[in-house]
Amino acid sequence: MKVIVSRSGGTAGIRLTWEVRVEEQPDPNTWAEFLNSLPWDDVTDSEATPDRFAYRIRCAPHEVVLAEPQVNGPWRDLVNRVRAANGM
Amino acid sequence: MTKTRGCNVGGRCQTLHMDTRELHTTCTIVPPYLLVRLAKLDDPRFAQAAAAARASLLRDSQIRQLRGGAHPFPYSGARTLPARTPGESDRTISDAGGQERLPGRRVRAEGQPAGTDPATNEAYDGLGATQNLFWTQFGRDSIDGNGLPMDATVHYGKQYDNAFWDGERMVFGDGDGQVFTRFTISPSVIGHELTHGVTQFTANLTYQGQSGALNESISDVFGALVEQHVKNQSTADASWLIGEGLFTDQVEGVALRSMKAPGTAYNDDVLGKDPQPDTMAGYVETEDDNGGVHLNSGIPNRAFYLVADALGGNAWETPGHIWYETLTGGALASTSDFVAFAAATADTAARLYGNGGAAHDAVMRAWATVGVVAAIPSPLPQQPAPPPPPSRPGVPRPPE
Ligand SMILES: [Zn+2]
Repeated sequence: MKVIVSRSGGTAGIRLTWEVRVEEQPDPNTWAEFLNSLPWDDVTDSEATPDRFAYRIRCAPHEVVLAEPQVNGPWRDLVNRVRAANGM
Repeated sequence: MTKTRGCNVGGRCQTLHMDTRELHTTCTIVPPYLLVRLAKLDDPRFAQAAAAARASLLRDSQIRQLRGGAHPFPYSGARTLPARTPGESDRTISDAGGQERLPGRRVRAEGQPAGTDPATNEAYDGLGATQNLFWTQFGRDSIDGNGLPMDATVHYGKQYDNAFWDGERMVFGDGDGQVFTRFTISPSVIGHELTHGVTQFTANLTYQGQSGALNESISDVFGALVEQHVKNQSTADASWLIGEGLFTDQVEGVALRSMKAPGTAYNDDVLGKDPQPDTMAGYVETEDDNGGVHLNSGIPNRAFYLVADALGGNAWETPGHIWYETLTGGALASTSDFVAFAAATADTAARLYGNGGAAHDAVMRAWATVGVVAAIPSPLPQQPAPPPPPSRPGVPRPPE
């Protein structure tokens, strides 16, 4: 099981991707529980606005695209955890 | 599973339809571009004409506001009756203190002296440089053309790697310190973000596919012009880089983008290579970044550079005027694609500087070089006159 967060856009237009392999984490069960608890099916489309980030989050079978203002609550938590696991 | 947005990548299905809005040029005797030229004359002999032209431009912009000015986003900056001289900056800088809440604490208002925080000072100066370019060169008073106060927030978020225009204000992050330093450091980035506001109030190009890449490119064009104008650099002297100085010295790269040579701004282990194409042959089809708006903008960016390079001198003069009049003149639809934009800039150049003149020629050639329009035979305007038919006795010659 793995989760991939890809951030595109921003005024720099540079895409950065962070990946976490759940099995390789010190706390794989916590990760799996957390990933299963995310509101994957509740994401709605949002209008594009200049220079904001867009986040594509993949965790098979799920894939969502979130505009930056939508990255709140558990999604925010996910992005922070995935980045932290990648050391940035 | 939630599907990703249906991206209209490329925006190629759009056709150009002329906007039905009445062109403002029809109701004034002196066309706006000429008023702009008059309004910026510094020679004291023309002081009166310049003052009159400024007043006329002001009226005109107010009329434009009354007529059409659609405000795609609500904004709270509308002022009541003015004690303000048109063209004067009205800046307010706020400090988010590392939070993601706007606007933050007010730290510097118009006319207050510089403090010790570089981000605040750079934002204040960059807003001033942007207002200065648009007012003195194009007769545009602030983002909306009607003196909208310019508001900015610095120190937004923690290690926030971005700057943006949120529909009402500029927002600047401090960067993460590893890849990016603070986003106020580059005048071209400040000009870029404010120009998103100008576009919002004018052509309002949809931020997706080709119209989105045009929206991005216009921000780069005027961002570069803000920087060149404040540094008084000609086309030959300028770097044509967007976001120079934004990378830390740990990054192999000079800037976010190069308008002169798209695709060459960085080549780094972490960031990869600058992915911008410089011709249509490299056009990037992607669902990310709203259809690659920050990538494909390299194509129209280079077209602008090629026009400036062909004409020489200061890019904010003839090339800037052609782009500014195209953006604000009402001929663009919000869904205009590269071909429509190329045609509109060529029309503007012909109208302002003469059909078949050097500016018109430079614009046509630039769009051909980047592959947006078909290559044009060289030389363009001067077809050699056909040789006169041989005269034979008894055959009447056509009248000369
Ligand atoms: Zn932008």
